[in-house]
Amino acid sequence: MNIDDETIDVLIGGYLSSTAAHEDYEAVLNCGARVWGAALIDKNLEGELSVEEADHTVAEGAAGLAGVGLVVGLFAPPLLAATAIGAALGAAGGAALHKKLGAGIGDKAGATIPIGGAGLIVAYPRSAAEKVEPAVTRAVQKVVGEAEGHHVHALKGALADAQAKMAEGTS
Amino acid sequence: MSDVDRSSLPIRRERSGGVVNRTLDGSEPDWNLIGHPTAPDGAPNVLVVLIDDAGFGNPSTFGGPIQTPNYTRMAEGGLKYNRFHVTALCSPTRAALLTGRNSHHVGFGSVGEFAGGFPGYCATLPRDCAPLPRILRDNGYSTAAFGKWHLTPDGQQGPAGPFDRWPNGWGFDYFYGFLGGGASQWDPCLAENQKIIGTPDGYYDEDDPYYFPDAMADHTLEWLHGVRGQDAHKPFFIYFSTGCSHAPHHVSKEWADKYKGMFDQGWDELREETFARQKELGVIPADAELTPRDDAFPAWDSLPDNLKTFYARQMEVYAGYSENADANVGRVIDAIDELGELDNTLILWIWGDNGASMEGTITGSFNELTMQNGIPLSDEMQLQLSERYGGLDQWGAPIMDPHYSAAWAWAGNTPFQWGKQVGSHLGGTRNPMVAHWPDQVTDQGGLRDQFTHIIDLAPTILDIAGIPVPDTVDGIEQEPMHGTTFATSLTDADAPEHRTQQYFETVGNRAMYKDGWWLAVKTERIPWVLTPEAIGPYAPGVWDPDKDPVELYYLPDDFSQANDLAAEHPEKVAELKELFWQEAERYRVLPLLATLSTFFGMVPPIPADTTFEFRGDVQNVMSGMIPRIYNRSYSITAELVVPDGGAEGVIVAEADHLGGFSLYVKDGKLTHTYSMMGVFIFRQVAEENLPSGEVTVRMEFAADGATPATGGEVTLYIDDRPVGKGRMEHTVPVRFSGYAGMDIGRDNGGVVDPSYEAEKPFAFTGTVNKVVFDIKPHLSAQDELDLHAVAHQGDAAHGLAG
Repeated sequence: MNIDDETIDVLIGGYLSSTAAHEDYEAVLNCGARVWGAALIDKNLEGELSVEEADHTVAEGAAGLAGVGLVVGLFAPPLLAATAIGAALGAAGGAALHKKLGAGIGDKAGATIPIGGAGLIVAYPRSAAEKVEPAVTRAVQKVVGEAEGHHVHALKGALADAQAKMAEGTS
Repeated sequence: MSDVDRSSLPIRRERSGGVVNRTLDGSEPDWNLIGHPTAPDGAPNVLVVLIDDAGFGNPSTFGGPIQTPNYTRMAEGGLKYNRFHVTALCSPTRAALLTGRNSHHVGFGSVGEFAGGFPGYCATLPRDCAPLPRILRDNGYSTAAFGKWHLTPDGQQGPAGPFDRWPNGWGFDYFYGFLGGGASQWDPCLAENQKIIGTPDGYYDEDDPYYFPDAMADHTLEWLHGVRGQDAHKPFFIYFSTGCSHAPHHVSKEWADKYKGMFDQGWDELREETFARQKELGVIPADAELTPRDDAFPAWDSLPDNLKTFYARQMEVYAGYSENADANVGRVIDAIDELGELDNTLILWIWGDNGASMEGTITGSFNELTMQNGIPLSDEMQLQLSERYGGLDQWGAPIMDPHYSAAWAWAGNTPFQWGKQVGSHLGGTRNPMVAHWPDQVTDQGGLRDQFTHIIDLAPTILDIAGIPVPDTVDGIEQEPMHGTTFATSLTDADAPEHRTQQYFETVGNRAMYKDGWWLAVKTERIPWVLTPEAIGPYAPGVWDPDKDPVELYYLPDDFSQANDLAAEHPEKVAELKELFWQEAERYRVLPLLATLSTFFGMVPPIPADTTFEFRGDVQNVMSGMIPRIYNRSYSITAELVVPDGGAEGVIVAEADHLGGFSLYVKDGKLTHTYSMMGVFIFRQVAEENLPSGEVTVRMEFAADGATPATGGEVTLYIDDRPVGKGRMEHTVPVRFSGYAGMDIGRDNGGVVDPSYEAEKPFAFTGTVNKVVFDIKPHLSAQDELDLHAVAHQGDAAHGLAG
């Protein structure tokens, strides 16, 4: 299957601990479904950022997630509700997924991801949804965005859709 | 001194019986002049032990799952009381214990932190109700209190006193412990006599870390040995009031791991197991029934499987914590035994000042203050936050301030309904008591089922010591004690009931007991819920307490309150309802729900001061006394002297990483870290280095609006130049900490920012001349009033967890 052939879903999960995010990250990669990529980003209590990612798009003949070329719109997390922290995490996760775009993107992620928090972002074909989404069990907020079309536009659209849902607090 | 008049205290010194001439020629000394009052002949030593926030079904001595070998040892050598009652809240029980009077009557209808404007809720002891330690001290006892106090109003816990509200002012010769309702067991902010001494030095000893329960016992032994070294005969009164088992549930992993896997069956099965053991032990009647689970508590089987380990660990830690308390009480008892005085020491050991505490909410919490600050967190969130701070192995360690699920508390109150705060039911008010006194108790291992109340302790102790309740103290006529002695029951299993009537009231939950009948009136509010929806129905003009649902129990036939007879006995319901109102008026219980009066606009005047200045090396400002920076704009300005080469360290810090703030310099940069209860952490760093010389730094917080937990913008300044900024999305609405203090020039105890953990207390290497907090006014007077009310509602919420 080619990355352009199918609707792309992007799942964003927000976490209060890196342990929980890492469990879901591993669960997604081992769920038996094909995913285009997954990224885990966390910031420890001293404010240090770390990123872990799996990029499978190159193997699929695509240019790689790094080449998607979309710019993630970072935004401030909504007020008050503790669950809303996921919004910031989602944005930061998106940044991580595309961190190879250039210097500075990590700084943007660092500016938005809360201290002590973590985020997971997964891109996958719609056909994998029934395996990927149940694998993400620990996110305190979880949204899925979707889009169709050429992979660049599809990824971009799905990510934007997921971010919008996260900002609205929709899970 | 045996024939002295003890009805008026202090006991008047005798006039000189000697002869005084112009010179020594013919003069005759009277050596009695340098004497002091002595206790009546035969007056025994007294040790009162009060465990905190624990239930009838917790200790193994009463069938619970927590091993309490020392409690059992005392019970086997003494007596178990299985119908002993307390109030359903911390401070009220303590006030009643130490005064022999109903708690409302002495100003403690609620907790020490909440000093309200009604006589029954002012948290200020009336001078015509002199407390037990004062009476014993003036009658020749050495008196000392160790551990939790919780009878000093929040704003009076500093060097300005007034000290008549501190333990020494209540008549204790010596005090070592903490003044509030709870404390970290690893780094408490301690008081000794009339001084806040703050974090113990041992906290910084990584090889042999300080642990408060151990230190309590150490200090008790040290004091006792000192007293005996000076006077081999003077009787002592020790009030040993543990911080355990109040949250935070702090204990080493070794103690908690003793219970590994022992609560995997969950709270429903635990109740059944405890109930079966209680019957086997005979501490409840054979016909007692196990009360059902209220819908407020989830069934264990309904929990997600992946979270059961999280919940079980909460109870493992609580159990280990409680067993440790038993062990430390055992050390004190052993010390008395080693002195050869155990036979002549009356020990009254009460397992719980109220029923087990449900303020951990259903989820339990990695940080007990999350409930008081109204932060809604699911159990998955709580688990993740515990993972953030080290995971379940660290639950109980200094890095967390844990509380357990309300359902564990309910299980700890087996076989009763409900728990702490619920004065209408036995889960909140009936706790185990053991009496041990080998000189007098011959029915060793016996059970006593007389209806007894915490107000009966003081009259009983005085009765046994042969000391009358004084008529006047310091020239002030005294009110009688409300309690009655149960001394007869120590030696006679068939002693008649000494108490046939007693009211109960806590946060509107109320009961009237008379001749075996118990009228229960519980408000609909769930004890751990303080939302507007929960509080609204009790507003003035809305609430009619006479329309509250009632329950009626006949306790001689129904030990656990399992069978509601209200519908069958409306005449008894009416009689007890009326009697409650009479008793409520008589004992200053009214107005009902005064504890929550701040939720209905009844708040004290807004303080006039808006500037708070701390010069020099002020440390350990108690958490309830820091400048009122919550929910508003404010600034912190510090005048520093920075030596050539720079300086680093903390300029000012409040509390710790689970709620607090720190303004500090590290790697040459001015930095502000703010922990919103350990859930959200915000940090702003200056973009340029701190210069040397005389420097003024400032942190300004510009709140978004006059709302609880408001977000806002932070700006850092050096000499009025902005050098850094950042945003804080959420701030603490109520209180950073229940116990950790604020320090100038360092960060004592647990630190706010882990980046300087290795250098703690990270004292400033330059000079902090002064730190000034400026509290900015809200835009409108109404906003000012609303947020002032929020602050006091927070006090009430904090109090309910007392």
